[in-house]
Amino acid sequence: MSINHSKETHYPAKESFLSSFFRSLTEEIKAALVATLWFCFLTLPLVCFRINANTQKIDYLWERLPKVAIIAFVATLIWRFLRKRLSFSHVKDTLDEVSGPPPDEARGPGGSWVTYLMAAKHKKLYAILALAFLVTIPFWVSPYVVMILITALIYICLGLGLNIVVGVSGLLNLGYVAFYAIGAYTYALLNHSFGLSFWICLPLGALTATTLGLLLGLPILRLSGDYLAIVTLGFGEIIRLVLTNANFTNGPSGIGGIAPPGLFGINLNATVKPFLVNLHLMHKDMDLNKVLIFFIMLLMVILTIICVFRLENSRLGRAWLALREDEVACQAMGINRTKAKLTAFAIGSTWAGLAGVVFASQITFINPSNFTFMQSVMILSIVVLGGMGSIPGVIVGAIVLTLLPEYLRGFANYRMLLFGLLMVLMMVFRPGGLIQSTRQVYIHKPLENKEP
Amino acid sequence: MSESNNQNPQTILELTNVHTFYGKIEALKGISFSIQEGEIIALLGANGAGKSTSLKSIVGLTPPRNGRISFYGKDIRGMKPENLVEEGIIMVPEGRRIFPALTVMENLKMGAYQRNDKNGIEDDIEYIFTLFPILKSRHKQDGGTLSGGEQQMLAISRGLMGRPRLLLLDEPSLGLAPIIIRIIFDTIKKINIEQKTTILLVEQNANLALMVAHHAHIMTTGTIIHSGTAQEIMKDETVRKAYLG
Repeated sequence: MSINHSKETHYPAKESFLSSFFRSLTEEIKAALVATLWFCFLTLPLVCFRINANTQKIDYLWERLPKVAIIAFVATLIWRFLRKRLSFSHVKDTLDEVSGPPPDEARGPGGSWVTYLMAAKHKKLYAILALAFLVTIPFWVSPYVVMILITALIYICLGLGLNIVVGVSGLLNLGYVAFYAIGAYTYALLNHSFGLSFWICLPLGALTATTLGLLLGLPILRLSGDYLAIVTLGFGEIIRLVLTNANFTNGPSGIGGIAPPGLFGINLNATVKPFLVNLHLMHKDMDLNKVLIFFIMLLMVILTIICVFRLENSRLGRAWLALREDEVACQAMGINRTKAKLTAFAIGSTWAGLAGVVFASQITFINPSNFTFMQSVMILSIVVLGGMGSIPGVIVGAIVLTLLPEYLRGFANYRMLLFGLLMVLMMVFRPGGLIQSTRQVYIHKPLENKEP
Repeated sequence: MSESNNQNPQTILELTNVHTFYGKIEALKGISFSIQEGEIIALLGANGAGKSTSLKSIVGLTPPRNGRISFYGKDIRGMKPENLVEEGIIMVPEGRRIFPALTVMENLKMGAYQRNDKNGIEDDIEYIFTLFPILKSRHKQDGGTLSGGEQQMLAISRGLMGRPRLLLLDEPSLGLAPIIIRIIFDTIKKINIEQKTTILLVEQNANLALMVAHHAHIMTTGTIIHSGTAQEIMKDETVRKAYLG
């Protein structure tokens, strides 16, 4: 393949994209203005009216409106820019296919920097950079942010676990939170009664959740679709009611004083923290136990991603996908339906159990109201919003759905409303989720060699 | 054409007086037939004659209520489909039923679900690409994007990926263009000759099936009413008029 040739044929596309965008700039601005107007109108009651609890009257907060308008306008412009860019790159891709893909070398600094930066050879570097960035986070943020991030990481784990069950295998599980609760209570009870440490309870919690997943899955996996959803919903409620009414779980008042995870018995707050704070490397109110949990969760999420990725692209993962599509054909291929479904169900539960143990150690006090049906809905929303069966999608979904509510505390009363709105918009504009799942393509090697 | 195969015939599958029910309805009223190694056997008949049910009874999708089904002398009645695949009985289900969201390559790999010999799987994929070159050029595509004929080719290929000792084909000509049907049936014959795969073929298109089959059984309403070699049945005017049209 000649490098010079492809340089000339492929780059004009990028130039014309930018220039075409700016040529139609007035149109773009007009469209963005209309969108802003609509947005302001629709969100007016949310943004500008507030019931004052003391005076029982409505406060009008008009000064908020321009801020919202500016944000909406800029966001719309960026959105339109990206949309256009996306559709443009599709055209470019098809052109590439027709004339053969340009070699990597051609996409040097002179070429499209986006494609250059996105090149596969940089993936490792980016992963390391991202990881390095994530590791430094606790050293320059406030304790509050670390708490939120731990929650986000826990939800990523839960989302990825449920993704195996719902996204990949297509088994609608509305009682996922039950396994989360089981993990949390396993640690809480074992720690409370026997003083077992976090590190012993982590596998035990996972094991308990897996076992219960298997026990529940065995009878109910012959159901499918709506019926499965109803039974799992019931299971979630049963677990919650048992936790509320049983004596050994201390009923609705829950279990407190759960020990945070230890690190070889070192008292981190007493030994390491003064040192770090003196060096201005850490917020002075930071609880180092939470930082440890943050790192544990980070590690767990990375391991989860690796596991789930390997699973999805394994023989078992293909069987799950195939089962979602055609059960009879699967049987004809010699797949044991019950076994495959049960594995998916149990593996999904395992992650809920793991996340539950960490959750209990993070908030140190759990009661049954932590594990309501709304939690299941939340985790399911993460999977659906992010993109069924897509790992990056679920991660983005989890981050969006856990961080947004935290930073939208001002809108606390309308949280659910915004949630609903977001969901509806999603279904209209991106029915496949924020980041749609793409299957790894297996390329037939001998064929590649024979190509000129 | 069948002379070479019949020199040392070994019965591999034998059905004796098999009855299968859908609820109270008796779909198979005691059918008996046997298949010799290396043969192509055709089950012919009209709609609702019990052809597909016979196949499903063999692979355990609709377990027979009584009777005996033996495969290489082993009683296989009541065994689960996944265990029968292990035994080497593989069915290509009616209506293709490929996995639309998996790529062609993944569909083929699903066919080799129970196999662990990586090199053998690669070799078989290579062989399948020589059988159906079109699949080779489509191997990266999602199964759902293939045409009906290509899907049927993929379905048969997926069945072959399990290295069947007995391949059951349910209506491979269903809904396909005549030219595609020809390719499919040529390939069926080729598989039988090259791979020595024994094939049980269920077909409504009798003329087509008789062209590739060695023996044929004609079914009506759950019973086999006529059996013979393909040539005999082809020549027998009365049988052809009465049952095959």
